[in-house]
Amino acid sequence: MIELIKHGTTIDFMGKRKYVMTFSLIITLICLYGIFYKTEYGVDFRGGAEVQTKFSKEVHLDTVRDVLGKAGFHDASVQTIGQPQDNEILIKVSADEASLNATTEKLTQALHTSFADNTAEIRKVDIVGPKAGAELRMSAVKAMFWAILSIMVYMAIRFDFRYAPGVMVSLLHDIIIVAGVLSFVGSEFSLHTVAALLSIIGYSVNDTVIVYDRIREHEDHGDQTKSLRTHINDAVNDTLSRTILTSVATLLVAASMYFFGGAALRDFFLAMSIGIIFGTYSSVYVAASTTLFIDELTRKSKSGNAQKATA
Amino acid sequence: MKTNWWVRFSVLLVLIAAAVIVLLPTVMKFDENGSYPVKSKINLGLDLQGGLYMVLGIDFKKVYRDEIQTSARKIESLLKDEEIGLTIGALDATDPMDPKQAIALNKASDMENAKKKIKTIFGNTIRITKEEGEKLEIAMAHAVKTQIEQQSVGKSIEVIRNRIDEFGVTEPEIIAQGEDRIVVQLPGVRDIERAKELIGKTAKLEFKIVNDTIPPQTLQAWMEKAKAAGIVYKKGERFSEYIKKMNEFLAKDIPEGHELAFEKSPTHDESLNIPYVIEATPRITGDDLADARVQIDPQKNQPYVSMEFKTQGSKRFEETTGANVGRRMAVVLDGNVYSAPMIQGKIAGGHAQITLGGGANFNKTMTEARDLALVLRAGALPVQLDFLEQRTVGPNLGNDSIEKAKVASYIGCGLVFLFALVYYKFSGVIAIVTLLLNVLFTVAILVAIDATLTLPGIAGIALTVGMAVDSNIIIFEKIRDEVRKGISSYKAFDMGYNSALWTILDAHITQAAAGFCLLNFGTGPIRGFAITLLIGIAVTVYTAYYVSKILYELYMEKTDAKELSI
Repeated sequence: MIELIKHGTTIDFMGKRKYVMTFSLIITLICLYGIFYKTEYGVDFRGGAEVQTKFSKEVHLDTVRDVLGKAGFHDASVQTIGQPQDNEILIKVSADEASLNATTEKLTQALHTSFADNTAEIRKVDIVGPKAGAELRMSAVKAMFWAILSIMVYMAIRFDFRYAPGVMVSLLHDIIIVAGVLSFVGSEFSLHTVAALLSIIGYSVNDTVIVYDRIREHEDHGDQTKSLRTHINDAVNDTLSRTILTSVATLLVAASMYFFGGAALRDFFLAMSIGIIFGTYSSVYVAASTTLFIDELTRKSKSGNAQKATA
Repeated sequence: MKTNWWVRFSVLLVLIAAAVIVLLPTVMKFDENGSYPVKSKINLGLDLQGGLYMVLGIDFKKVYRDEIQTSARKIESLLKDEEIGLTIGALDATDPMDPKQAIALNKASDMENAKKKIKTIFGNTIRITKEEGEKLEIAMAHAVKTQIEQQSVGKSIEVIRNRIDEFGVTEPEIIAQGEDRIVVQLPGVRDIERAKELIGKTAKLEFKIVNDTIPPQTLQAWMEKAKAAGIVYKKGERFSEYIKKMNEFLAKDIPEGHELAFEKSPTHDESLNIPYVIEATPRITGDDLADARVQIDPQKNQPYVSMEFKTQGSKRFEETTGANVGRRMAVVLDGNVYSAPMIQGKIAGGHAQITLGGGANFNKTMTEARDLALVLRAGALPVQLDFLEQRTVGPNLGNDSIEKAKVASYIGCGLVFLFALVYYKFSGVIAIVTLLLNVLFTVAILVAIDATLTLPGIAGIALTVGMAVDSNIIIFEKIRDEVRKGISSYKAFDMGYNSALWTILDAHITQAAAGFCLLNFGTGPIRGFAITLLIGIAVTVYTAYYVSKILYELYMEKTDAKELSI
């Protein structure tokens, strides 16, 4: 038997929770700052047009900028995507709803005529009007709201009300951190990011449920005299090797998709990879700690009430 | 337990066989008319095969503005006949979804009379929102607005669909989204400019005389004959191509100077299309028409469509109707018969009216009248459509994406397999087999339910593999726990599986909840991802739990379960 975590390991996870929660809180705040002040919205949410072109030969970004400038696109943003040898360039322009269509046509025309000897293949054109952009933003928020709500309801029914807040806190924690990290590394927030965030919700809750399941098992069938804190520690230790194994397996997939999957999947799997790491961490620390915190809180108020009653 | 092992194993074998049968056409080339039972191939999304994705928005503000202004003009001309003079005032569009039109009567004393007239003639369609001295303000009735909204979306979809049929796209998807959105997806379309032009262009409207001398039985016999000769409308074929083939095939039967045309069934069931024999040359075309509106006959309280012709058209219309009293005149839109009303008498003066199916209930007739008026007036899309969102993907990008995603999936899955094998030894082999079956079933279900595989969908499958191994890990870790307690192999296996079931179910159900939200609110490729994720989740529960259990039992039987390789 190969064992990643030696059987019978007893790490006092909950003993260190104050430090770890402080760490979580700080990083969450930093990420919230990033979300509000650093996030770059992709064409899906901001509206505008994006043209992805592939040149047959190497081309300098400045040359493309020049050409576009001459054609009247002074505010166009030009950047390379994918591997440098692919000669792929992403051009972003803004325009109002009425002229978006004409704008992209003019843009592709300019590329075709100016690069006659270095054919520019138009690979993808995305045009999103501002109205549609606003709607897509709204539906993304709605999707996440309903996802978290329905998960909480299920948790409350299947487990206990004590567990539901832990799930919610850890899910929010993961989403904020992933979105925050993406904003700092300059990855655009697109529909694909939303899909990634929702998958992270799925992954993280999966992870949390398994830990919770074990806690409940210990509470129901284990030593009744032990405290919830001990049960949590035991459960986390029990599931630790599974937690790590699963994360490694999923990370293997996510990382290979990130490195080899091409430009289109890169952002998605960057988000996924970060999400897997934090999702694993949060199911151990954030979710379980919140449950313990709530448990202690209710105990205190109960005993407080009891004291009042006797007094 | 041993008794039903064979049953479960047979079910598994049947499922594998079914999946392979479903997937074969995707992997191999089959003759379309061959005897192979399954025709469907995997449906590649726009991002993988290239194509056009559009979201069109209907500008109701403009529709409402036009509608209320037209009503005001009608009121003006009707009241003039009653010797009530008025001036049309400003349009108040503070609420663009409910614009109000001001009308000032010349004499305040006419007010009661004018109100009574408006109520009798426009009773259900106009509401008076304000009256003060000689001033009136009118707006559309709410029911009318709702009706316009519903009809506009439905009608636009129908018109767009007819045009797409003309373009010959195999798997077009044209659906309503919300109250004022239409989503058009045309996978595999290369000539994007033409497709856009086709959707936005004005339709060709013609009036052609119907030849009623051919009895319906004969028409029916022709259809049967053509069907027997193999001339049927195939999905993805241009409808005009089909009409052309029919006309060529029946050339000897159809009278000289005539042609066969169809009134397409609103349900798009091709067998319900109604055939007509009509004159080949149009008598009047859309260019001759100046306007078309729905009116209500106050005496009979019945809606009708009134048309106004331009000078040239009005003369031609007079001649045509005069010469063809008692015959039917087909309203032909883009080559398809839209309706074929009877000509009641010679119509002079540039005004004509089409009365619709007498005796039918008012609302139904009203709907028909509105539809027809819309078609006649715009000759095209009933409302102004704005291109809100448009995504086009070149075919090469799709190919590149598939290639890259494939390579990445192989590497990712390979690593997971290797990992499982090293860590769990023989049990790892079981895990790998279940993972492979997981992919096989997921893809087979995708094909079977005719879902679309998108790039995020491929990602979803790869991701499911990564996460599906989790269920095996949970089971294996539980078995290891039992083994450590010194329990016999068989019992350890049994207990491991039993205690893992609800853990696995809980984990997957909560995850599915996120998947459903994704499916509900996502668009385009994201939906593709959600679908594969949901299928993957369902399949994982079966393969990772039940299939691996079956395989485990087989293994324990063979080795007598002396020692578990885990």
